[in-house]
Amino acid sequence: MPRRVDLRTPALLGLPLGWLGVFFLVPIGIVGAYSVDILSIVPGSHSLTFAGWHDLFRDPVYLRLFWKSVEMSFIVSGVVVAFAYPLAYYLALSGTPRKYVLLLVLIAPFLTSYLLRVLAWKVILGNQGVINTFLFWSGLRSPDHPISQLLYSRFAVILVLAYIWLPFVALPIFVSLENLDRSLLEAAADLGASRWQAFLRVTLPLTTPGIVAAFLFVFIPTVGEFVTPSLVGGTTGYMYGNQITDLFGTGFPDWRTGAVLALFLLVVVAALTAVFSRFNRVEAV
Amino acid sequence: MDVALSRNGRRALRALFAAVVLFLYAPIVLLLVFSFNSSVLPTFPLSGFTLEWYRQFLSDGELHGALEASAIVAALSSLGAVALGLLASTAIARRRFRGKAALSALLLSPLVIPYVVFGVSLLLLFHTLGVQRSLLTVVIGHVVITLPYTILVLVPRLQQIDRALEEAAYDLGAPPRTTFLLVVLPLIAPAIVSSFLIAFTTSFDEYAVASFVVGTRNTFPIYLYGALRFPSRLPEVIAVAVVVLCASLVVVIAAEAWRRVAERRLVG
Repeated sequence: MPRRVDLRTPALLGLPLGWLGVFFLVPIGIVGAYSVDILSIVPGSHSLTFAGWHDLFRDPVYLRLFWKSVEMSFIVSGVVVAFAYPLAYYLALSGTPRKYVLLLVLIAPFLTSYLLRVLAWKVILGNQGVINTFLFWSGLRSPDHPISQLLYSRFAVILVLAYIWLPFVALPIFVSLENLDRSLLEAAADLGASRWQAFLRVTLPLTTPGIVAAFLFVFIPTVGEFVTPSLVGGTTGYMYGNQITDLFGTGFPDWRTGAVLALFLLVVVAALTAVFSRFNRVEAV
Repeated sequence: MDVALSRNGRRALRALFAAVVLFLYAPIVLLLVFSFNSSVLPTFPLSGFTLEWYRQFLSDGELHGALEASAIVAALSSLGAVALGLLASTAIARRRFRGKAALSALLLSPLVIPYVVFGVSLLLLFHTLGVQRSLLTVVIGHVVITLPYTILVLVPRLQQIDRALEEAAYDLGAPPRTTFLLVVLPLIAPAIVSSFLIAFTTSFDEYAVASFVVGTRNTFPIYLYGALRFPSRLPEVIAVAVVVLCASLVVVIAAEAWRRVAERRLVG
């Protein structure tokens, strides 16, 4: 094979890596600096202190909120994967000739505006929303007693997040099912396995990496979510991400604590990703 | 015997698929219906047909400004992301170098950072450097978050095309630049277009990171978020929502269909 080097590798990688270095890695470093008071918005001289980190682990408020977010996002990811798996299974293994068209139908909503999809649920779930007014109109419920827990609640946040992420997770699961060697299923059948046995002992184990990937792809963005909870969550749906934005907001800014919370979230997410990629070597793209 | 699905299983899954598609599209259809409803409140029963909200949308200068700002941001950031993505993808698909796995992981890592963390990080960076926040700072952030998408689209395509075509061009005496322009570029053009569109739509719609680094001029999602807090503006927002939703659906589906056709033609 002729080796004709056009652009050297450093020339190719320099710009993209430089961009990420300056606008991705350095900023994270700066968050670190704020979290230990090397940098601060409070004027005057500063010295290194771990007080912010100390507070995080001493004061249960933030960690409790963190666990609440983990729990909510765990439910969202679980529900979404549980629904997406059979759908992807149907597309990949039923032999339907239009599987790519159907896949696109499933995924298309994900490519439309995030805020507008949240807005749709605001219109549906509100006290004067579609569900409640439909109940009033049909006489199933009196207008004085709307079902008010529909909007501005934990439930609303979980529902809307599941709605938003469902189309997205179908994709990684579909890919893992597509890559499954069908002759393995035929072999299982030849050896006397029922469809269920073949599913439980062949298909499911072989597609577990896809399931875990899909789960994480939802879990990681939702655990730090702040937009959906601020629109439909009210006080009970308030999440860890909202706490972070509030600490950087205009009300009572506390950048040190905010930086600590942000960095803590990043560490947890990075650890999860690292564990996952060890367990399932992500194809070296 | 079908080894994957029994007949009943197939029927059940088809029903589930239909139910989920209904669940996914019903809220969008509902928005469409209410955008023509004459009442200010989106409630049942419907009160009458109107085009008033679309008229309002056409005459709302603030909204037009926001749409324009988002179009600028999306165009610049997706051009940037595609350019950087093309460089990085060429290195990943075509070169062997030390630390490739680690560097590839780094290039894709913006995929797995919670946006609230990235938004905060950028805010602190610009604050520390004393950079005024503006549309440009939003562009910078959007290049970072859309870069991995372009790489994920471009690398498989680059790996797919037949190296022999490039080698043939070299053997015929074409210099590297000519080979790239006349052989490689046409082959990956569909992938470049789809990576551009993915980056563009992602940026156009991006709220979380933008909310931390936007300046005085609002992008469309920032405007929308603000408008969502005023019930009286809801109908107009719904009308805009419908227009934007339909436009993005059409673009996405058309782009995907075009890519399929174009790539099939290149392969066959």
